[in-house]
Amino acid sequence: MESVERRERVRVRALWVRFGSVEAVRGIDVSAYAGRATALLGRNGAGKSTTMRVLAGVVPPTDGDVQVDGVDVRVDPLTVKRSVGYCPDVGGLVPRATPWEHLQLAARLRRMEGWETRAQDLLERFELGDAAHRVTGGFSHGMGRRLSVVLAAFHRPGVLLLDEPFDGVDPLGVEATQQVIDDAKARGAAVLISTHLRDLAMTSCEDALVLRGGSAVAALDSAELVGEAGARAYRALLD
Amino acid sequence: MPTEHSWTELVRGVADLRALLAFRASGLTDRVRVRLRIAGGVVLALTVAAIVVPAYLKGPLQARHASQFVAVLPSLYLGFFALAVLAAIASGGGREVVPREQAVAFPVSSVTEHFGALLLAPLNIAWLIQAWSVLGLTMYVVGPHDVAAAAAPLLLWIAFSTAAGQAVGWVFEGIRRGAHGILLARLIAGSTIALVVVLIATDRFVPLLDRSPTVRIYLAAAYGTGNQWWLWARPVAVMVVMVVVATVIGLVPARWALHRALREELRLESGRIEPRPNPRSDLRALVRVDRASIWRAVPLRRGLLVLAFMPGLVAVAGSLHWDMITILPGLVASGGALLFGVNTWCLDGRGALWRDSLPVSASVAYYAKVIVLFEVLLAAAGLTILLAALRAGPPSTAELTSALAAALVVATQVVAAAMRWSVERPYATDMRSARATPAPPVVMAGYSARLALRTTVVGLVFSATAVAPDGRWAVLVAVPLLCWSGWRLVRTEALWAVPEVRARVIAVVAS
Repeated sequence: MESVERRERVRVRALWVRFGSVEAVRGIDVSAYAGRATALLGRNGAGKSTTMRVLAGVVPPTDGDVQVDGVDVRVDPLTVKRSVGYCPDVGGLVPRATPWEHLQLAARLRRMEGWETRAQDLLERFELGDAAHRVTGGFSHGMGRRLSVVLAAFHRPGVLLLDEPFDGVDPLGVEATQQVIDDAKARGAAVLISTHLRDLAMTSCEDALVLRGGSAVAALDSAELVGEAGARAYRALLD
Repeated sequence: MPTEHSWTELVRGVADLRALLAFRASGLTDRVRVRLRIAGGVVLALTVAAIVVPAYLKGPLQARHASQFVAVLPSLYLGFFALAVLAAIASGGGREVVPREQAVAFPVSSVTEHFGALLLAPLNIAWLIQAWSVLGLTMYVVGPHDVAAAAAPLLLWIAFSTAAGQAVGWVFEGIRRGAHGILLARLIAGSTIALVVVLIATDRFVPLLDRSPTVRIYLAAAYGTGNQWWLWARPVAVMVVMVVVATVIGLVPARWALHRALREELRLESGRIEPRPNPRSDLRALVRVDRASIWRAVPLRRGLLVLAFMPGLVAVAGSLHWDMITILPGLVASGGALLFGVNTWCLDGRGALWRDSLPVSASVAYYAKVIVLFEVLLAAAGLTILLAALRAGPPSTAELTSALAAALVVATQVVAAAMRWSVERPYATDMRSARATPAPPVVMAGYSARLALRTTVVGLVFSATAVAPDGRWAVLVAVPLLCWSGWRLVRTEALWAVPEVRARVIAVVAS
């Protein structure tokens, strides 16, 4: 019997995404397992964010097989959206709604009961408690990123998708994000992190997938990308 | 060395405006360029037609109603000036050539902003229709003799009103951005409205309009056709100076206003908003967020208040009868849709990606937007009818049914058109600033023309049903029109349900 830790929660095979004549993703395979975090690495335009959007059910795949917990994203996107928590790479917040209103909306649509204590706890952990009832349009970039992570993790999703979660976030916010990733792994969630910050990604992830020009060029153990040697190996994969 | 208010700054401002316009134009496809050229040609042709055709109609029509038109012309000129002022105030000083968030990295001076706002002011169907009315009615009265000379003072008045209106708009925006500015701005607006109401109530409004100095504009046009060149040249020369002075003097309040902090926007962003009880359905939850996105956005809040009250007050001032009141809901609904409805998903801004990742059907998300837009338009149209009714007297059944049916039909019609455009042509816009628009100015002009044409036609149809013996005619006309708009809404929903279409809309508005 397959162990709980190696249960494949995300299964992507031969994924293609085209926007008109532009091929954003060109036949990549991705697997993410319960209790493990996978880093998606690569240069700008490598296809990381598009892959995340497909898994979040926001962008439909042009071709290929994309399954989250055995559910095909094309066949049943609503079930996939229930399983997934998504922190988008840009913004991700309704500018004239408060963090509390974001959480209220998410709780309603995700059928969460008694969510207020967890919401309050997450906001405090990310030092957003004082800003809970202010519209997000006035937030700094880092505050916005932190709230996006809160919203992604709020409903304890089976698959946590974090696109650039560390971008512009202060050290305390980074710690809180890493804590959220550890919690998710501990309860058996699969975590996918797209980032340019290789060192930070390696502290939280067990696996790494390097993308280039919409294709996967290497699937590695995160240990292979740590330190100076890891930096050189990563650099070599980007060219 | 500081160069503000210098000739150098003026020249640089104009050069920068050219660069911004080129930047805007660079994003256009060939197809859009062709359509823009056609639209520009049509506007120019209609303007020439508004000057020439009525002048040559005077003879064949035997100058019918000409004396009545002469009586209203000074008020019409004054009305154009009032419109220019109001448009500039409502748009936070004037429209932006390039949205603030896109231009933030560039040193765009207040000179460029001022000239840009002036350039964009005519891209507004209300401005165009009023300008054509000024030209057309006057030319009909003065006749075909020396058309160019007669049109010159009219065109100069249009230019002066726009420039002076812009200057007043900047002053008002500067006041609004100051300490206690919002209170002061509301006091000024309230006092002006109260003054007009008192003048109307005491029957002094029309006599005051009759004494308007704008009668000289008509006289100048008449001198032009009467070969009284000296009498024509003097006011024309004065008006040329007035245009130049108003344009240049507007730079001062523009600089003053634009250098002040966006106080109202900052207050909205830093204030505490009391949490409300949890929503009891998915649809209510989505509608609540969309309503908040409207009422917490300065341009939308201000625009809706202007739309809710101004047409009604104009109806009161003009003592409109019920058969004409049916046209007002169309104007209000069109204006309301132009505030955000033509690009409805801009309410979500960059949160669109997160919102679309939530587990809710595309249909519910779509109808949440439809409900919010529809209720806003219907409420504004209803308030306009209510205000207009204050002076129109008790309506007959046919009149009341026609006015209500007109409001319902145009609101549905406008929502159907706006939702279609929102899905087919989304734009990334930040509705934070009072000067923001949901689509580029040229696109907005196109939308406003199409909406105004459709809703005015519907309004005129209900004008006819208002004089019918009973209300059944209005209902008979309304039912098929409502069905048509409902069908269009359902078709757009089907389009929105296509994942590829939805992904494109979301990606654009969230970018």
